[in-house]
Amino acid sequence: MLTFTLRRLSLFLFTMLVLTLISFSLSFLFPGDTVINHSGQINATATELAQLNEAYQMDKSIFTQYRAYLTHILNGDLGQSMASQSPISNEVIELLPATIELSLVALLIAMLIGIPLGFIAAINHNKASDNAILSLAMLGYSIPVFWLGLLAILFFSIGLGWLPSAGNISLLFEIEFVTGIQFIDILLSDSPYKWQAFSNASAHIVLPACVIALAPATIFIRLSRAAMIEVLAASYIRAARSKGLNFKQIIFRHAIRNALIKIIRHVGLQFANLVTLAMVTEVIFSWPGIGRWLIESISQRDYTAIQSGLLVLSCFIFIIHILTDFIYAALNPLARGNSHGS
Amino acid sequence: MAREKIYLEEVFPSPFMQLWGIFRKTPVAMVGFCCFIFLVTLAIFAPIISPYSPVEGHLDMILLPPAWHIDGNVSYLLGTDELGRDMLSRLMYGTSLTFGLSFIVVIFSLVIGVVIGSLSALTRGIKSSFLNHFLDVILSIPSLLLAIIIVAILGPGISNTVWAIAIVFIPQFIHITRYAVKEEFRKDYVLASRLDGAGNFRILYYSVFPNIVERLMSQATLAQSAAILDIATLGFLGLGAQIPLPEWGAILANGLEHFYIAPWTVYLPGLAILFAVVATNLVGEGIRHALKLRKEN
Repeated sequence: MLTFTLRRLSLFLFTMLVLTLISFSLSFLFPGDTVINHSGQINATATELAQLNEAYQMDKSIFTQYRAYLTHILNGDLGQSMASQSPISNEVIELLPATIELSLVALLIAMLIGIPLGFIAAINHNKASDNAILSLAMLGYSIPVFWLGLLAILFFSIGLGWLPSAGNISLLFEIEFVTGIQFIDILLSDSPYKWQAFSNASAHIVLPACVIALAPATIFIRLSRAAMIEVLAASYIRAARSKGLNFKQIIFRHAIRNALIKIIRHVGLQFANLVTLAMVTEVIFSWPGIGRWLIESISQRDYTAIQSGLLVLSCFIFIIHILTDFIYAALNPLARGNSHGS
Repeated sequence: MAREKIYLEEVFPSPFMQLWGIFRKTPVAMVGFCCFIFLVTLAIFAPIISPYSPVEGHLDMILLPPAWHIDGNVSYLLGTDELGRDMLSRLMYGTSLTFGLSFIVVIFSLVIGVVIGSLSALTRGIKSSFLNHFLDVILSIPSLLLAIIIVAILGPGISNTVWAIAIVFIPQFIHITRYAVKEEFRKDYVLASRLDGAGNFRILYYSVFPNIVERLMSQATLAQSAAILDIATLGFLGLGAQIPLPEWGAILANGLEHFYIAPWTVYLPGLAILFAVVATNLVGEGIRHALKLRKEN
């Protein structure tokens, strides 16, 4: 486990280096002056510009420039947004938790729906229910997420009026910002309307989370189906059967555990997919998250925000990736020793 | 009755023809294949067969519902949008933008990916290991996110979207080609032709490629369904095709304002995207199914 940790740690450092390098080079690729792209101060006077050049070491070699940029990032200075002229790090701290909340809820829904359905399909392999689940999965995988979001709004919000269609909580509730994750903030607050706020926030999250969850759920169906079929064909299942265990015991005691481990490995990869879907869905549902902010920055050509937003988002995805790797290794001893960087 | 062939010749169909034989017998896959051919034809001939121009507005026919609706007009079969542009013509032209461009993009990335992938399969050592790790990192980033990043650098627009998506799909093809070529190179028939004196490139061209082409095609269908969704999503977000291009995602985004009074401007382009993606996925599933059956025989 120690070598595994060290290896992951070195991979983590290496990837962070590459990510910051990419984000650093973006300032050169974007149109406009490099130092303004770094800092986002479009209205800087001549003296301020000179200070910025000094701070980012623009007259030195490219290596020194990169080191200066890295120091700025490590100090939490991501520059200013060109559009709003407020520090990007503050905006990110406000917006990122909302995205994390939304994607975690969506991931939970996707796993809770996808994995059992995949298991059912695998147990009834090559029967009608298997085919039905697979066809549904293909359909779900093919629906464009923005269209699904709009249809969901049209049907559930406008047509039936069951669920709200925009934002993450009704404006009537005033929730103090502590962690940024709405549900935790509500529980921490001492407002008398805590539980109304809680149910209101839950009603807001249902629709976007379900829309995001659909495509990953279909992938979980495929993954868990493949994993279960593989497990059911293994010889320890035959051994369990010859021991006289009945079908239920085999599935619940032996098959599910071993199949789940194989799925956990893919959660990290699916999470990246899910965050991308969340970015699009945030735009439709006006969710105050980082995805909507990033897409708005792209249309406004707010280069500093794009650069820092991408850095933060990719770091977040990568950290989740590493975390699932650790969980997988902790659960499955076979994965620890094994090959390089896989 | 004249018999032209006196000697009974035993014919071994090529791997590709074997696959086609199995593929043809799967009805669902054939339905998908027909839809796919239909879309390709539509993408090529849209300017000839579409009834109106996609950008020309008929100001007396604004927000006309589809023909089956009680207020519909049969000369505008799928209705019109808020500027009186015919939806049917816009969707037809959109086929060549969304579907046609995704097709071209995938072919382009396929060719480049296969060339780089097969060359890299022939290298060994540190270069190969570096490429492997690099591809692992790139492949773990979702295609849409990568496309958004590249569009952010290049700036919004349909040509930039196409470039972004082309760049995004190249690593996938490199990876699969590399893996497939390496696997084939370990097999005995490659050794046999090597003993005959064939060089690496000759083996690659005459022995390996005919055996991996279907795997590449299956990957290409996966990539295409993702490409359609990516082009449409970028169009919807306003980062891809710009007004007034009739790209499906952009049409949908355009209809958003009149979502409630004219829902057909939203659900028709969505259905078109869904149809194209399902057709592509059905073809892909058919190929994978046929590959599995051929392996079992």
